[in-house]
Amino acid sequence: MIFLNAAFTQHFTPDALPTAVRTALGKPLRRAAVLTQLALLGAFAALPAERRRLPTVLLWQSTTGPRQETLALLDEVCNGPSEPMPYDFLATQPALAAAQIQPFLPGLQAASHVPLDNGSSANWHLLLALAGEWLRTGRYAQALCAQLDHQPEMASGHWLSLSTDATPGALATVALHSAPLGAPLADIPDLPARLNDWLGQAGPATCHLESPAAPGLTVEFARL
Amino acid sequence: MLRPVFIAASGLLCARGDSPGAVSEALWAGECSAGNYTLGERSFPYFALPLTETDWLLRAEHAIRQVSAQLGPLGPETPLFVASSSFQIGYFEQQGAPFAMPIGSASFSRQIAEWMGLRGVRHSFSNACVSGFSALDAARTLIGAGWIDEAIVLGIELANASTLAGFAAMELLSPGVCRPLDARRDGLVLGEAVAAIRLSATPSRWKIAGQASGLDGYSTTGPDPEGGPIARVMADCLHDAQLTAHDIELIKLQAAGSPGTDLAEAKALRQVFTAARPPLLSLKPALGHTLGASGIAELVALLACLDAERLPATANFRDADADIGLAPGTVRRTAHIRRALLNLIGFGGGLASLIVERNG
Repeated sequence: MIFLNAAFTQHFTPDALPTAVRTALGKPLRRAAVLTQLALLGAFAALPAERRRLPTVLLWQSTTGPRQETLALLDEVCNGPSEPMPYDFLATQPALAAAQIQPFLPGLQAASHVPLDNGSSANWHLLLALAGEWLRTGRYAQALCAQLDHQPEMASGHWLSLSTDATPGALATVALHSAPLGAPLADIPDLPARLNDWLGQAGPATCHLESPAAPGLTVEFARL
Repeated sequence: MLRPVFIAASGLLCARGDSPGAVSEALWAGECSAGNYTLGERSFPYFALPLTETDWLLRAEHAIRQVSAQLGPLGPETPLFVASSSFQIGYFEQQGAPFAMPIGSASFSRQIAEWMGLRGVRHSFSNACVSGFSALDAARTLIGAGWIDEAIVLGIELANASTLAGFAAMELLSPGVCRPLDARRDGLVLGEAVAAIRLSATPSRWKIAGQASGLDGYSTTGPDPEGGPIARVMADCLHDAQLTAHDIELIKLQAAGSPGTDLAEAKALRQVFTAARPPLLSLKPALGHTLGASGIAELVALLACLDAERLPATANFRDADADIGLAPGTVRRTAHIRRALLNLIGFGGGLASLIVERNG
């Protein structure tokens, strides 16, 4: 059985983000891009210290990706007098986020970044399907699924934490089905907030995620 | 994994040719010449696609349509898994300021799907050099579990100054040639490629026997020099395939001519392949390092060689490095290979290994 242990959203202004990182780590995370800092803060919020050594996979999607950093790099490369500064290039590489937070999450064994190709829908159904299969087959003990975005005025992280064991305060079970189960949640970036809305109300025992992009794959959440 | 996953078809366009067969022929002939990419006052060797278009988008469309046609007729609902580390950044460069980047950092995947005539689900992966195997891993997982029956996994990396400039700024590029495992190795030579495979639950000649991925947080630009994380991923891959090191008959290395990464990979190989070590092959001296496309491009090129039962030599190797203590095959030979392991070691800490096995 797979359990949903946490579902939450974080928002940070540009000034608040490094402060939050420093508070979480007790020191600054040097030369870390915004998406890396978001990944660290979300992972720390999702996983208590005693679970940070368990075999973990991080699956994260993004609408913006490192957009600001890429625009800055393009400006340097196309309009600048010379080659870009190395760290300006590194900031455009989203794959670095997982490697940079691994020292603080020793159990982080693998990560995958899933950039989104439009501004309206998300790919939670893929992240949850992969997490579900990899947890079910024992590849990892826990999975962090996230949507991380970075805009000039705000950085945001939407997080779901899943595992094969229920942690204290676990929210729901998660199962995959091949048939539609009716009245689905939309596959949009702030799915964790929608799940919290459902969990916070007396109502149906289950809710479902379906994507019009992937008929035949339904993710069912059932309250504990 | 509930059911096995097979490679039903493949397509490839890279510096060495415009089909898997043509690339296999070129590799057998030892072709490894590269052109140049000038960046300000510096010029670097570069493996460009054999295309004449200068308009970035037209060139991309030509490349995609050419590779797509090699896959055979595609059902319009076939799921598409796109792997790239740069997507269409070269297009933005050509358009110039103010760089009209659309919302959705992988918006180029929509265009790729349209060119391929695909209107089904699309997924994009951007994990630097291991992007191709990330996409393949996801597609294989969904097919293996029965959620989908087939998928197209496409790797694409097209010319752009931003990536080259970034690697140049970090002094990761060779000014000369790519020399994997060689004592004279002095950096990467980048290149372009578009490559695709059609994965299916229907049995075909090659099966994905095992796959594993990992993460090496030692540094943002290079792996743990002792190779421990790389060794663990290879061991995990063997475990996933239910094979031992003795079962592997060929290793397609990451080996891109990087001083540090080649050494780490060599140390990892010595940890996993402790007794008999299978022959080693690097394709990067002939194809260049095609970054996000490299996983699929090198897989397709390797399978074309294995189908022809002709193993190419690794070009540009001459001087053994005592610290590495390994040498790639430098003489081409015919061989019937049943199982091969492929390594990817990514800029940014991503690691991936894959085992392909001849079916039947």
